[in-house]
Amino acid sequence: METFIIKRDGKREAFSLDKIKNAIRKAFLSVGSFATDDIVTNILCRVNITDGVTVEEIQNQVEVALMAERYYAVAKSFMLYRQKHLEDREVRDKLAFLMDYCDAQNAASGSKYDSNANVENKNMATLIGELPKSNFIRLNRRMLTDRLKEMYGKEVSDRYISLLNNHFIYKNDETSLSNYCASITMYPWLIGGTTSVGGNSKAPTNLKSFCGGFINMVFIVSSMLSGACATPEFLMYMNYFIGLEYGEDYYLDADKVVDLSKKQRTLDKVITDYFEQIVYSINQPTGARNFQAVFWNISYYDRYYFESLFEHFIFPNGSKPHWESVSWLQRRFMKWFNLERTKSILTFPVETMALLSENGEVKDKEYGDFTAEMYAEGHSFFTYMSDNADSLSSCCRLRNEITDNGFSYTLGAGGVSTGSKSVLTINLNRCIQDSARKGQHYLFFLEEVVDLVHKVQIAYNENLKYMLDKGMLPLFDAGYINMSRQYLTIGVNGLVEAAEFLGIAITDNPSYAEFVQQVLGLIEAYNKKYRTKELMFNCEMIPAENVGVKHAKWDKQDGYTVKRDCYNSYFYVVEDEATNIIDKFRLHGRKYIEHLTGGSALHMNLDEHLSKAQYQKLLRVAIQEGCNYFTFNIPNTVCNSCGHIDKHNLKECPVCKSHDLDYLTRIIGYMKRVSNFSESRQKEAAKRHYAAVSEL
Amino acid sequence: MLRFQSYDIVFQEVPNEVTLAINLANCPNGCKGCHSPHLQQDTGEWLTESALDSLLAAYGGAVTCICFMGGDADPREVDRLARYVRAMSGSKLKTAWYSGKSRFPDSCALSSFDYLKLGPYVEQLGGLRSPTTNQRFYRIDNGQLTDCTGLFTKQQSATR
Repeated sequence: METFIIKRDGKREAFSLDKIKNAIRKAFLSVGSFATDDIVTNILCRVNITDGVTVEEIQNQVEVALMAERYYAVAKSFMLYRQKHLEDREVRDKLAFLMDYCDAQNAASGSKYDSNANVENKNMATLIGELPKSNFIRLNRRMLTDRLKEMYGKEVSDRYISLLNNHFIYKNDETSLSNYCASITMYPWLIGGTTSVGGNSKAPTNLKSFCGGFINMVFIVSSMLSGACATPEFLMYMNYFIGLEYGEDYYLDADKVVDLSKKQRTLDKVITDYFEQIVYSINQPTGARNFQAVFWNISYYDRYYFESLFEHFIFPNGSKPHWESVSWLQRRFMKWFNLERTKSILTFPVETMALLSENGEVKDKEYGDFTAEMYAEGHSFFTYMSDNADSLSSCCRLRNEITDNGFSYTLGAGGVSTGSKSVLTINLNRCIQDSARKGQHYLFFLEEVVDLVHKVQIAYNENLKYMLDKGMLPLFDAGYINMSRQYLTIGVNGLVEAAEFLGIAITDNPSYAEFVQQVLGLIEAYNKKYRTKELMFNCEMIPAENVGVKHAKWDKQDGYTVKRDCYNSYFYVVEDEATNIIDKFRLHGRKYIEHLTGGSALHMNLDEHLSKAQYQKLLRVAIQEGCNYFTFNIPNTVCNSCGHIDKHNLKECPVCKSHDLDYLTRIIGYMKRVSNFSESRQKEAAKRHYAAVSEL
Repeated sequence: MLRFQSYDIVFQEVPNEVTLAINLANCPNGCKGCHSPHLQQDTGEWLTESALDSLLAAYGGAVTCICFMGGDADPREVDRLARYVRAMSGSKLKTAWYSGKSRFPDSCALSSFDYLKLGPYVEQLGGLRSPTTNQRFYRIDNGQLTDCTGLFTKQQSATR
């Protein structure tokens, strides 16, 4: 029988003894020596070739054989030769990646490691960002496994790598060195400018320096985070500076001409010009972030949320936030932004409206109506609703408990400062299917995995503390964010797929509810178990535009049951037409999200806009079902021929009649062109079921 | 007795309402170009009071209106079920009927419904959103019909 070996590229090739002999002879010649036939035979006696052995394994055996025969100099030369070739191969691979990237359809498809990059175009800057990603992954893994070994021993560290390599778990954002996302308090900046975070600007003193400084501050903060930067106080602070210049009741006479230059701008125009400066600047590709735009989030509040969050807040001049003018500015910004989005594709800020509910209704009726009105006008934003202002979602996806509503003269309002240090995701589908293969109950295995991911997160936290000690994390030192208020996040993916595998129907039914509560309840139990003064955990159904695709692909390759190309980021099956809109609210309602402490936003895909009255009713449905976080997603149309942007989902450009159209839809919170998604994600977007406008 | 083949939550059929639309089977009209010819067959689940009860239990609190799609083979039954919905919801839920007939049947009472669509689908004239449509959509207040077909064509110009 002929023996085959496996080459580096995975191909099988008939084994050739001459090739090994040649390699050995060359190694001897390289140190000025000569290998006789006898010497070669002696070395080969120690090499065991079996069918299916890899080139790497043969070379390892030759190395050992050379040393066993005491040819140390030759062995060393052979090793160095191998190392050199390894490096050559790495460069060759990088070069091949570079060529492939240049040929890829867009930046997301070209990206090898982290394809949700909010990058519009591929170019030299985005390529420069891609190349070191594999090195970051190795570095991050090494730092984490070293710490794990130190804290929990080699076994735990090895188990982590094994679960990671076998895709039971996934470490998010491994291509970046910085902590994940943060909702910041801007108070330290308001008091001291950017010097404490490494910038050189002083505290803002007027509207102009506020707006300019704000942009710089957001860029500085974002360069030290791998994910989003939320500024929940943005409009409140802006309102303060407008008030300083034009009086607290400026909003009562916004049509007054206040610009005495030839432009003769009204106050309203002055304010919206500042909106324009800030929003357009922040949507620019950013050099320091490999041409990714900053991921920027802001919040709006109804009167009750606002009062609860900022009732103790005091500005540097001793004044308190003025609700009536803040409210006017919030509405003005929303209206302006909605209109501006018909002129240009503006991804950021991602906006969240925080509403308090009471007795099944939005407590602040004016804001409930306004929210419905803005949805009916086609604006795309998130709504967060709670019957208690003890939690907030300001980070576009992460819900957080407000632990401190107080005010401090160094940190400002405590409640807004939060975020996630790091996300580590469990692939539930694989965990559960693998348990079935092994004939064990999935909860046993899942419990082991859940325990391990907590240990890994604690190790990550230790590494972060190390960085903090060395002065590498000025955002924490300066008080923009706080170590003990940032979560370590346990992500879940493949929940729906796991339930489907167990034969559970993905509808609102007792066995699905029980399954969800059991799995997420287990994670929550461990979140509580490992919680300390400085460690807080939450659980999130991650918006898996990137990971969902990878998990589906890997699981399919390894023979698990995989029904779709991208695992769901929701509690329902995205493409299932039998799940109606009320069902979706229900499946993201209290029964299902109870243990999802980190939240999950329901993206309600509709194919047309609804009326204000209908949105008002749906807000009540959300309250009734206990769905606290959602958005409505109606694809906007962009004409590739004339550039017209339309709030509606059209098949033909209403301006130039072109059919070369693209669509803007929401992806993990932000609006993006469908053609900028990675290829597999585009397929998923095409399959999404947009609730039909029936033609009856 | 009527059968229904499916149901869905819809927004465009009855303006400003969140509607549970029940697609009734055995449609006798046979309009040319019908978009759901499967509804011409007499198949599906019986729309009994208990079937309606379970639909109302699941969605009654979340919607504002129940719309019967079709049912022209047994108009009196549609009328009866509409009144049943009213009674069961304590008149909280509105009722609508999408009929393919041109005339409201004498055997039914207008007062059983809040909304009414009349008229077969004629391919050349188009559905409610078409400006040339033969179909009519009415609001009913105290037994009085108000033609609101314009809401659909307006909706079209606003959304298209």
